[in-house]
Amino acid sequence: MKRLLTLPALVLWKTFFWTYERATWQYDLLVLAILAFIWLTPPGWLKDPTATGPGLIGLIERLLGVN
Amino acid sequence: MFPLSAIIRLCVALRIHPNALTAIGVVINVAAAWALGLGWFKTGGGIIIVANIFDFIDGKVARELQEATKFGGFFDSVMDRFSDISLFVGLIYLYAEKGRTDYVIVTALAMMFSIMTSYTRARAESLITKCKVGFLERPERIVLFMIGAFTNRMAAAMWVILVLSIFTVTDRIYFTWRELNGGIKVEDELEHRLAEIRLSTPRRAGHR
Repeated sequence: MKRLLTLPALVLWKTFFWTYERATWQYDLLVLAILAFIWLTPPGWLKDPTATGPGLIGLIERLLGVN
Repeated sequence: MFPLSAIIRLCVALRIHPNALTAIGVVINVAAAWALGLGWFKTGGGIIIVANIFDFIDGKVARELQEATKFGGFFDSVMDRFSDISLFVGLIYLYAEKGRTDYVIVTALAMMFSIMTSYTRARAESLITKCKVGFLERPERIVLFMIGAFTNRMAAAMWVILVLSIFTVTDRIYFTWRELNGGIKVEDELEHRLAEIRLSTPRRAGHR
C-alpha cells in the first residue's frame, strides 16, 4: 500500500518538476500526451472561438450518437 | 540539412551581420502576429516557420563569420522575447475582436508565464551555475504555436502553453531555492522510500 502511494507521488513529482532532456522516452511520452490533448479534445469542450471541425473524440461522439 | 546550410552559406557569402538576421527574424514574427490577429492561422504558421529559420541561422552565421559575441547572444535573447510577445499580442487582438474575454485572459496569462519562464532562468543563472529545468522552453512553445496554427487548434495550444509554463516557472523557482539552500531533493527522498519498501517487501515463494 505504501509503495502504491509512493510510486504515483514520484511520477507526479517528476512530471511537475521536469528535469528530463529532449529525446528521452519521458519527453516523447509527454509530447504524445500534449498532441493527444490538442488533436483529440473536441473544440466545443474548450469553447474554442476559432476551431473548425469536431475533432476525433467529437467525431466518435457523433458516430455513437452521444449528445 | 541542405536548404538551411545553403541559406547559411549564402548569408556568410553576403557577409550579412548576424544581428541583422536576428532583427529580420523579429520583423517576420511581427508579420506572423499580424496574420494570427486577423485569424489567418495557416498563413501565420507559415510565417512563423520563416521567422524561425532566421532565428536558427543567426548563431550559425555568427560562428562562420567569427562574429559570435556576448552582445550577440544578449541581443538574440532579447529579440526572442519581442518575437514571443508579438505572437501572443496577435492572438489577444484576435480573441478581443471576437469578444472572447475568457481567451484574452488565457492568452495573456500564457504570455505572462512564458516571459517568466525565460526571466526565472536568466535571473537564476546570475545566482547559480545552471537552471535548465522544466519542460516548456522556447522551441516547444514555438512548435505549439505552429501546431495550433496549422491544425486550427489554437485554443488547446494556448491551454497547453499556459499550464506547462506555470509548471516550468514553478520548477525553476523550486530548483533555484533548492540549489541555494542545499536542501534535500523531494524526489530523492521519494526514491529512497521506494527502495526501502522494495527491500522490506518479503519475496513470495517461487518468485525470482
